[in-house]
Amino acid sequence: MTAMAKQVEDFLNTSAPLDTLDSEQKLQLVKHADLIYVTADIVAELQQGAPALFLIQSGQFSVQDSDAPLRHLSEGDYFGYASIMEKRPFSLNISVDSPGLVYRFDAAVIEPLFEDTAIRHFFDGLRNNALQNHAISDTNSMWLYKGLSDVIEKSPVSVEEITSISAAAQLMTEQKVSSLLVTKEDKLIGIVTDRDLRSRVVATSLDTSLSVDHIMTPNPAQIMGNRTLFDALALMTERNIHHLPVIDHQSLVPLGMVTASDIIRHQRGNVLFIIGELSKAENLYELTRLSWQLPHYFSAHAKKAGDYDIAGKILSQATDIMTRKLIGFFQQDNGKAPMMFSWLVYGSQAREDQTMGSDQDNGLLLANRPTESQADYFAAMAEYVCNGLAKCGIKLCDGNIMASNPTLRLSLDEAVEEAKQWVNAPTKDAIMHFNIFLDVRCAAGDVSLFKQLQKRRAPLMQQNMFLAALARHSNEISVPLSMFQKFIYEKAKNDKRKEKDVIDLKTRAVALINNIARIYALADGISLPNTLARLDALSSNSQLSKRDAANLRDIWLFLNRLRWRHQLENKVTDNRVSVSMLSSIEKHQLKAAFKAIDRTNQAMVMKFSGGIS
Amino acid sequence: MIKQLIHACTSAIFKRNKFRYYLRDRHIRDTTFAALDLELTSLEAASSHITSIGYVAGRAGHISLASSGYHIIKTNGDLGQSPVIHGLTQDILSEGEDIAEGLAAVSSLFKDNILLFHNARLDLMALNSAFKQCQLPQIEITYIDTLQLALYQLNKQHQVLPNNSATLTVCRQRLDLPAFPAHNALDDALATLQLFFAQLNELGITQEDTLETLLHTKAVGSYQLG
Repeated sequence: MTAMAKQVEDFLNTSAPLDTLDSEQKLQLVKHADLIYVTADIVAELQQGAPALFLIQSGQFSVQDSDAPLRHLSEGDYFGYASIMEKRPFSLNISVDSPGLVYRFDAAVIEPLFEDTAIRHFFDGLRNNALQNHAISDTNSMWLYKGLSDVIEKSPVSVEEITSISAAAQLMTEQKVSSLLVTKEDKLIGIVTDRDLRSRVVATSLDTSLSVDHIMTPNPAQIMGNRTLFDALALMTERNIHHLPVIDHQSLVPLGMVTASDIIRHQRGNVLFIIGELSKAENLYELTRLSWQLPHYFSAHAKKAGDYDIAGKILSQATDIMTRKLIGFFQQDNGKAPMMFSWLVYGSQAREDQTMGSDQDNGLLLANRPTESQADYFAAMAEYVCNGLAKCGIKLCDGNIMASNPTLRLSLDEAVEEAKQWVNAPTKDAIMHFNIFLDVRCAAGDVSLFKQLQKRRAPLMQQNMFLAALARHSNEISVPLSMFQKFIYEKAKNDKRKEKDVIDLKTRAVALINNIARIYALADGISLPNTLARLDALSSNSQLSKRDAANLRDIWLFLNRLRWRHQLENKVTDNRVSVSMLSSIEKHQLKAAFKAIDRTNQAMVMKFSGGIS
Repeated sequence: MIKQLIHACTSAIFKRNKFRYYLRDRHIRDTTFAALDLELTSLEAASSHITSIGYVAGRAGHISLASSGYHIIKTNGDLGQSPVIHGLTQDILSEGEDIAEGLAAVSSLFKDNILLFHNARLDLMALNSAFKQCQLPQIEITYIDTLQLALYQLNKQHQVLPNNSATLTVCRQRLDLPAFPAHNALDDALATLQLFFAQLNELGITQEDTLETLLHTKAVGSYQLG
């Protein structure tokens, strides 16, 4: 008898894509598997064996298993798949850096598994060193595509068919529901609504001691719990009904009821609703009250990957609206501005990738150098808007990059002069200081003023020396992977939270992609601040290939999803994502993402700084 | 009297030498090691019963997962605290096999293989009484105790051994082996076999060496079952 040890099963269950196999497939796999303690002593024998798929459980190895270069591998990594996929033997070369346990699966049992598209896709991805992005295409608009099981809040209110009409009516009153599920042996057989009680009982003076099956609507329209709110809405409109029972798609047991009022309630959760309400706010109090709903709104409605992709944009738009509203309120009390101005936003708000923890980065651009009284007006306005934003939940900036800081209220000429200084002396400290100002957008005020600034600044920033300095600066941060492709974790920040395996995805990865996109965009004369828009807008002359740009885009979205999910699920505002909380496929993707970022970053440094770093 | 003593001494020395020669003939590369673990109702050898047997075999660093086996044994004895530790309750155990069937299933392991135990003494005594209970023919086995191997290494490094420094879990941690779910007979057996391969590597013993190289660690022994 072959039994499967729990530790083997546990390990397979955490190893994508093998975790998707059913238990019979896993048992077959294990029957044809060796678990090998690989030491330098036995490695020669392994290299000569028949083709097989290897999966590392512990230890560190340097492996060459195809025409690709030597790879440093450790826990969770596969090798040997190239021979199986391409059906030609590659020589296998393993050197043991630290001995450990490695699973060896016969090629004969692995080949049939490769016919499964998801598994094939996974190994294709490894082979092509690319990030799997199958999940990225499903960026549906979030709200209507919520799963019904997420929408139903109450457990079903139901009665057995033999219950009397009066008992059923009492239950409905008690539970404050307008409809009731009628079941027989736990299966749904009908529904009773307020309307049935009115038209079939009261209007006909029916005996209320009769059982409910006399008045129920038998075989009602129903929907499976794995469908979406949109499907439910479509069905209810089609049948002209207000109550739709939801049943479990496997057990057929009723899960609950979707009603017309549920749909209305969820439409209120729509993004346009909250943005619309923000723009209707008539005073600071209303504005802050609505703004404080934003976090609740995100945690209630953002569930799927596609939701996270646009969450940053929604938050940035909301911040823009708050800013415009606040400027409006200020002008109501203090009169129109004495000259043209642009309210500039920097950093994440400019890039439209704000998260809950992002603080405000902003400044003012003025048409001319202000007189003393004019300067006072703008100082007061900046003070009011920055504090107003803080009241709305957008934190004040620790680094004082705010319009309330007098050095960030420059006239157009001064701003151009400042850019010249950056370009002429791009020292390390200077870059640290002005990097954030390179992602800039006009959120309020006069856009034409901002456009003039960009037009005058663009040629300066395309200069090679300047780009080389930026590229070198970007090279100072590296992705958190060791030589053996193991994750490098952050040092624990505080002892209260268990922080053994966290990586700050913002500073270690997202920021790198932002840097890469920024430098290629500057070189290409693109003035857009948004990272994805920049990658998308790169011309055919750009030195970043279309394929790399698309890959970076997918990675950026992936990382962004991880950090949004982290913030919403853990109710925090940092980006310190715990690796052990990720699924095994996400760990693989994260590693692949880091490798791709690193390659692209290195290539960029080579291109712009001529390899001098 | 003296004659008897001399005879006993010489025969002991002879036996010892015979064992040495036996080990000298066996290369690590060609030896199949079968790790065996028994879960018992108590730690008292005299009164304890076997509740489950787990085993897995491997050779030259390779563990063939198809060779793993797990048997639950029908027990009527007092379970004491063991259900808490192994998760085997009276209900599960009453569904189990007879001890004779369980022993028959593992008996093929005893031929030619070297048995591995982590803490051999207790398991060997329990096996012995089960053999006697089932009136099985006597058999002489050779075993290696990974606990003794670990103690041999530890004694080289420590004057006084820290508490719990030689449990299976701790021994594995010391050699960077992954964590495993303890107290299931099969998982413990698999964990023991992995530990043994890692210990060989730690001791610098290669596939070309013979079992004799392990003799001085006092982890190798022979035992008569039945």
